[in-house]
Amino acid sequence: MDMAPEQILSQEEKDILQEIMNIAFGRASADLAEVIDIYVELSVPFVQTIRAVDLPAYITAELRNHEMISVVEQGYLGRFRGMALLVFPAGAGRELFSLLGDGGDVSSNGLSMAVMEKETLMEVGNILIGACVGKVAELLDDLVTYSPPRITVEEHSGNAVGADLFEQGSMATVMRTVFSFQNRDINGYFFLINSSESFQWLKKALYLFLEKYA
Amino acid sequence: MIFEQIFNMINVGLVVLDADLRVRHWNRWMELHSGISAESIVGEPIFSFYPDLNNPKFIRNCKAVLKFGNFAFFSQKLHSYLFPLKPASSFGHKFNNMQQGCTMGPLRDQDNIIRHLYISVQDVTEVVAYEQKLVAMNMQDGLTGVYNRRFLEGKLKEEFGRHKRYARPFGVIMCDIDFFKKVNDTYGHQCGDQVLKYVAATIQKLIRDTDYLARYGGEEFCCLLPEADLEAARKLAERLRQGVARGKTSCGDQEVEVTVSFGVAAVGPAIETPETLLALADQALYEAKRAGRNRVVVCPD
Repeated sequence: MDMAPEQILSQEEKDILQEIMNIAFGRASADLAEVIDIYVELSVPFVQTIRAVDLPAYITAELRNHEMISVVEQGYLGRFRGMALLVFPAGAGRELFSLLGDGGDVSSNGLSMAVMEKETLMEVGNILIGACVGKVAELLDDLVTYSPPRITVEEHSGNAVGADLFEQGSMATVMRTVFSFQNRDINGYFFLINSSESFQWLKKALYLFLEKYA
Repeated sequence: MIFEQIFNMINVGLVVLDADLRVRHWNRWMELHSGISAESIVGEPIFSFYPDLNNPKFIRNCKAVLKFGNFAFFSQKLHSYLFPLKPASSFGHKFNNMQQGCTMGPLRDQDNIIRHLYISVQDVTEVVAYEQKLVAMNMQDGLTGVYNRRFLEGKLKEEFGRHKRYARPFGVIMCDIDFFKKVNDTYGHQCGDQVLKYVAATIQKLIRDTDYLARYGGEEFCCLLPEADLEAARKLAERLRQGVARGKTSCGDQEVEVTVSFGVAAVGPAIETPETLLALADQALYEAKRAGRNRVVVCPD
């Protein structure tokens, strides 16, 4: 499949997707606040189509201001399918751990602080990814399941995202947003990398969405 | 009908909770391993039977599943287990509870509305037992049970860096069993092994919990002593020397006397690398051997 990036999604389609993400993230953050007291702000998303081989370099460039990062990655699988990456700057695990406030069990179960931070990042990552991807899928009239999250803790930003994550020769839509936790100095990046196999479906779903709401 | 049979025959624990976290289904596997019958638990809040689940993390995950259709994963590494069940496999004796990998996810009705959540429970006790064994084998010397050289070298680097950074004292003792070749030649290799075990056990008993003892080579051992300066390390080495020399070990009906030589060094401004520190302790050990064995030599600052 040798298409130029711009042929995959037209500008109009990208605009619709961006709008969908905007609505989805708004709903997701409202629900997160209401249901589990996690207050998160998600910036207006940015949609771009690039070749999968260029993804690691693209992500590295996006993250050049952070020397050390932690990445939670999780696959989502529906007709809408791909890989979600949540990128936290180093130290975010500690902040989130104190934010979620159920730290009583650190000493009692003998786990080290590093493990608890990792667990917190993974749990928050799982919830955040599930909420956001779930809402996007819902607006596209789809249901998704998820693979277990995987985490890379405090790596140099150049190494944290491996090229082997993505199929070679394929195209990906990158949906990027910056999130921050209210009242806390934690922010990071959220990438949804939609795999090319779901493009045909995605195009149709985007126009169906438009018909329903426009 | 078929699915109901699978639900009860599958070798995985399956639990279905409603939105109020009351148990709706409890499969045969859960009955077997928990000793709680489906009849007695169905309709009851899960927390009545498992009060420890009533914690913010579990509840947060339930809400995320019920509200967002998330999946939640409770890995053994981080949680050990979700339900305190008796270990079932022969590897279980190392654990108080069955080690579990658990997943939680949404269950929807015909209109796609999430009404229930499921929890799957997988017994991973055996895998964890093997994994722990592998980790231990990777760190331990098979014969004496003390740390191996690989572990020591990693630890040395780590501790050296820490003590340099915070300018804290850090001592090292190298020791070597005297005339070990003669023991082997006279009494045989099995006796040699016995002597190695005796020396390792004697030293292990005399060092602090925070120190590290490793078998460095054939009959050579090394102790890392965080927070010990040169004088403290020398004193300890002297205690170790006396401890080994005072005791005796036996091979069959033969009593064998063993002595050990010690070389001591500690971090100082002139020592830039962990390798230098170890080399200095080794030099001191060589001096101890040369000066007649069964003694402690301290490397000059």
